[in-house]
Amino acid sequence: MITVAIPTGTLLEGSLDLLRRTGALDLGAEEIGRRLLVERGGLRLVLVKPADVPAYVDHGSADLGIVGKDQLWESPGDHYELLDLGFGGCTLVVAVPESSPLQGPETWPPALRVATKYPRATAEFMAGVGQNVEIVRLHGSVELAPQVGLVDAIVDLTQTGRTLRENHLRVVAVVGSSTARLIANQASLKTRAEALQGLMGRIRASLGEASPSLGGRGAAAPGGRP
Amino acid sequence: MRATQEAVLAEMRRWGYRLVVTPTLERLDVLALGLDGEQRRRLFKLTDGDGSVLALVGERTIPVARLVAGKLRSAPLPLRLCYTGPVLTNDPGRFVRRREAHQVGAELVGASGPVADAEVIAMAVRCLDAAGLRRYQVDVGHAEFFRGLLDSSELPAALKSGVEAALGRRDFVALAELLESTSLRNAEHELLLRFPALRGGAEILEAAGALVRNRRSERALQELDRVHELLRAHGLGDAVSFDLGAIRDFDYYTGVIFEGYGPDVGRPLVLGGRYDRLLARFGRPAPATGFMVHLDLVGEVLWREGWSPALTRLDAGVAWTPAGLEAALRLGARLRLFGMRAVVDTRSRGLEEARGWAQALKARNLLHVDGEAGVVWAPAEGPPIRLAPDEVVERLTHTAEASR
Repeated sequence: MITVAIPTGTLLEGSLDLLRRTGALDLGAEEIGRRLLVERGGLRLVLVKPADVPAYVDHGSADLGIVGKDQLWESPGDHYELLDLGFGGCTLVVAVPESSPLQGPETWPPALRVATKYPRATAEFMAGVGQNVEIVRLHGSVELAPQVGLVDAIVDLTQTGRTLRENHLRVVAVVGSSTARLIANQASLKTRAEALQGLMGRIRASLGEASPSLGGRGAAAPGGRP
Repeated sequence: MRATQEAVLAEMRRWGYRLVVTPTLERLDVLALGLDGEQRRRLFKLTDGDGSVLALVGERTIPVARLVAGKLRSAPLPLRLCYTGPVLTNDPGRFVRRREAHQVGAELVGASGPVADAEVIAMAVRCLDAAGLRRYQVDVGHAEFFRGLLDSSELPAALKSGVEAALGRRDFVALAELLESTSLRNAEHELLLRFPALRGGAEILEAAGALVRNRRSERALQELDRVHELLRAHGLGDAVSFDLGAIRDFDYYTGVIFEGYGPDVGRPLVLGGRYDRLLARFGRPAPATGFMVHLDLVGEVLWREGWSPALTRLDAGVAWTPAGLEAALRLGARLRLFGMRAVVDTRSRGLEEARGWAQALKARNLLHVDGEAGVVWAPAEGPPIRLAPDEVVERLTHTAEASR
């Protein structure tokens, strides 16, 4: 029995699609409904919040996990990051209000105030460009923060840029880009090597078969940002 | 956990390892000699009255190394030492690690080569046996195998350090991107990308040997081959597998490395390997190898497998009425003198009440002293018998031997 942690939210569709293409499990999102645990054909799916996937995998409660790279920036751990699954593409950007005088990093004030849900990735990026920063950690509606004067800029994920435009924000720097990743528990890789390598081989093959344009990328993420 | 700790230490003693005690609090600059930046950050730190920075030990190999280069400076090598105790580290991952973990470890200092490597691996396997684990897996690898791959990968220096960092983070997506960014292609790249899958029986050594084209990796494979032969002679030919893709701190480890896994535990129970450069930093250059066992994780496995700690044997509960108190205390002392375990009650009880008391203590025998002259002996089975105080020890010794 292999246990796979799957994130609810925008990556759910793509994750199930991937498992379907590998022939490991044919299950639609509507079939799962509100169930959090599904067992079928030697595979156990655990549905958890995206930010919790690394916890399940690092602890060994799940052998494998599917998770956005953006979550891994915030919770580095002892797991193996094995494959870029290609879907769920998005970018972590620094954005400021359209009316702001700020442009690239060279125009930023000595200490930039930033609101974000990604304090770790933000701190690392800012240290990399030599920018002093005051990070305000928010849990939602980050776009609002600069409009009411809480901060100078935000660091947030964007897929199509629509939400940013709707909130009159413009991108001034790119922190990193993210796609869904396959991660594995370090001990499972050793103690269940054969079963895991078998499934990973099938996932690899299914990624190889996908068209070069990776049509799944857009299709897996309808409706823009979460 | 005490029982596991005792069992593992007893096994180490059977291999001739001497127990050493190192302090829980050390000067940070001493510990820093053997730790990388990340490990240093994880230490709990405090300052001494004179302003020097102290830290709680996060692992115990470095304190042992300091001991070997300091207090044991004149002791001839090789030294076989073992240790046990708590280690304390911050938890940057928020959920992965306990702050306080208990470890038992062993270090073989001053011996190099496969014979020494095989000794510590064999001892590690025997320690897991001694702890009572039935299912476990020990994987042996080699730090030089990776070094050789990286050396001969023909990558520019900047890319090399990127590759090393990505591998250290176990980030194979980044690793693939880095390797794709060069037009170079060789067998070494392929092996690096397949790192997590380079695990198996002794046949994996041959398979890898057919692929590598560099001296360093080839030598590592030869050494592993030799270790495999020696482990067979230790009676452990099938107990270990080989994992050429083991990822560890490659700046610290210099040769054969190994790790032990248990069923359904997300982290290794045992970590060990050769670290030939550490002792030199303390001024006494010497090759060294060793390992440590995570007692908490071993305990988790044992608990899940339904193992329960053996209850402490208690030979006698000595109850008394006021007239018999002093005789009861004398009786307790006498029983202990004969190596028996005896509890003397703290308040007086009648015989009937005392039966319940002794049962709650799980004492094998109840002795009820109600005066200077006589003792009522109520064994686990059979009716109570009145004995003279002098007879008690003999009778109890007899029943104890009979029940063994």
